[in-house]
Amino acid sequence: MVQSKKQKYTFLAFCLVPTFIMFAIFTLYPLFSGLYYSFFDWSGSSQNKEFIGFDNYIKLFNDAIIPNTIIHDYFLVVTKVIGIMILAMFFAVALTQLKIKEAPFYRVVFFFPNIMSVVVIGILWTFIYNPSMGLVNSGLEFLGLGNLARPWLGSETWALPSLVLPSIWAGIGLFMLMLMGGISNVSKSYYEAAEMDGANQWQQFWKVTLPLVWPQIKISILYIVITTLNGSFVIVQVMTAGGPNNSTHVMGSYLYQQAFVQYNFGYGATIGVMILILSLITVLLMQFLMRRDKVEY
Amino acid sequence: MKRSVGHILGKTGIRIPLILWTIAVLYPIFWMFLGSFKSNAEIYRNPWGFPENFNWQNFADAWTNYNIDTSVFNSLIVTVVGSLLTLLLAVPTAYAIERINFRGSKVLFTLYVSAMMIPMVLGWIPLFFLLSDIGLLDNIYGLAIVYAVSQLPFTIFVLTSFIGTIPKSLEEAAAIDGLSPYGVLWKIITPLTMSGIITVTIMNAIQFWNEYFMALIFLQSSENYTLALAIDFISSEAQYTNAWGTLFASLVIAILPVIVLYAIFQRRISQGMTEGAIKG
Repeated sequence: MVQSKKQKYTFLAFCLVPTFIMFAIFTLYPLFSGLYYSFFDWSGSSQNKEFIGFDNYIKLFNDAIIPNTIIHDYFLVVTKVIGIMILAMFFAVALTQLKIKEAPFYRVVFFFPNIMSVVVIGILWTFIYNPSMGLVNSGLEFLGLGNLARPWLGSETWALPSLVLPSIWAGIGLFMLMLMGGISNVSKSYYEAAEMDGANQWQQFWKVTLPLVWPQIKISILYIVITTLNGSFVIVQVMTAGGPNNSTHVMGSYLYQQAFVQYNFGYGATIGVMILILSLITVLLMQFLMRRDKVEY
Repeated sequence: MKRSVGHILGKTGIRIPLILWTIAVLYPIFWMFLGSFKSNAEIYRNPWGFPENFNWQNFADAWTNYNIDTSVFNSLIVTVVGSLLTLLLAVPTAYAIERINFRGSKVLFTLYVSAMMIPMVLGWIPLFFLLSDIGLLDNIYGLAIVYAVSQLPFTIFVLTSFIGTIPKSLEEAAAIDGLSPYGVLWKIITPLTMSGIITVTIMNAIQFWNEYFMALIFLQSSENYTLALAIDFISSEAQYTNAWGTLFASLVIAILPVIVLYAIFQRRISQGMTEGAIKG
């Protein structure tokens, strides 16, 4: 291409600089600035901003609610990974391996909740759990299990587990498609060979499908972990706002409450730093634990 | 023979969980539509059945008495402005990263992509004060800018892989014909990447239309509420006003555009999201 160095650099600057400035202002600066704020006692007005060193971090370690928010987050991570992966894997195998005519229909339907707003999902499920007219309690009574009916979201014990189901409901479609992509890439000849060796469907699943779609499984699990740690607070905020009695607070919803409800912005930022560190450590750890050489047959 | 009978039974057996899950997905959505036609009294009496008659009163109520008209308008602006701004910022950068050799292109790409894994919640506190300082707090255009930048990493990421599939010879030929690099970007690359641009824009638009948490933080006065906030507000008020029918009607208003987009672009949306997740 005939163009001078100067022209090339002007064009490069045209392409990169405005975007990068916006990215720096609205993404990089806030992140680093959040780190900086975590060393201040600050209620929002500029006069009352006081440097307090590591006091917020000391407060964090002594805050009785913090360990619970961490446990709640990881509870959601673990239950979501297990629930979504088992169901998504089952549906993915069913829709690819068994020649079901209406498979595309299921695919389209199962995916839809993935693009629904969390607000809509949260409100719908709040109704499903509604103590007096909700589907869950009505269903239990219908089955003669009325004594199991309870105010699901109003119970300190049951509110958090109740949040798992909507998350699984909303998440399955995406991971099912990811796994289906993996399974359809597995060459038919492996299954034919396995069948000739007398392997039944179940053995074929364990010995052929599972190892060969391991990359997709790994990515799916990582993706669930990241999105849960970085975003579980949205469904919490919509459905319970952390209650009853803090029993569903996750790290993000607690940050929101501290910073934007109680105006402890410095302490909120400290919680944000904790979220950042925990989620980075978790992702690195997962990548280390799940490294497994690609299987080739 | 024996085998084929077992096969048929197995297939029927496998359909049971598939059908059950279909009901689990569709019934709540379907029920929301039914509820939007019921009066409040009827919702209490008969929460899960068909409405006695279809009346549109709830929609009229939501639209006029609960300011859903304003929030639909706000959501539209945020969605359209946000999606266009995302493209404006992402297309040139994606092109430069993918096609122009310069030192640091790898680093820049990694920087953008790794921002997808960073929990942005930490940044929202300073962002709140930044927006306040520049007068964009409680402003739907401010929110649109924040949305656009928040989707930049994903958009750049998807677009670079689309641009990578365009044969280089086309650009070279255009450059020999005397087209400036700006011309190449606008007249060659942009049209040839249109499929990717459409996919990523639909996904961004759905994201912006649905978004709740940033709107909750960065918008304050009710005349600036987006749909998600307005619905959340009606939902928390409904405990006292019992305006469930209105709530359902506004949920329906919020979900309809998404259903329409999904009906038209189902393949693009599911493919885009799956690939975005896999490569990310």
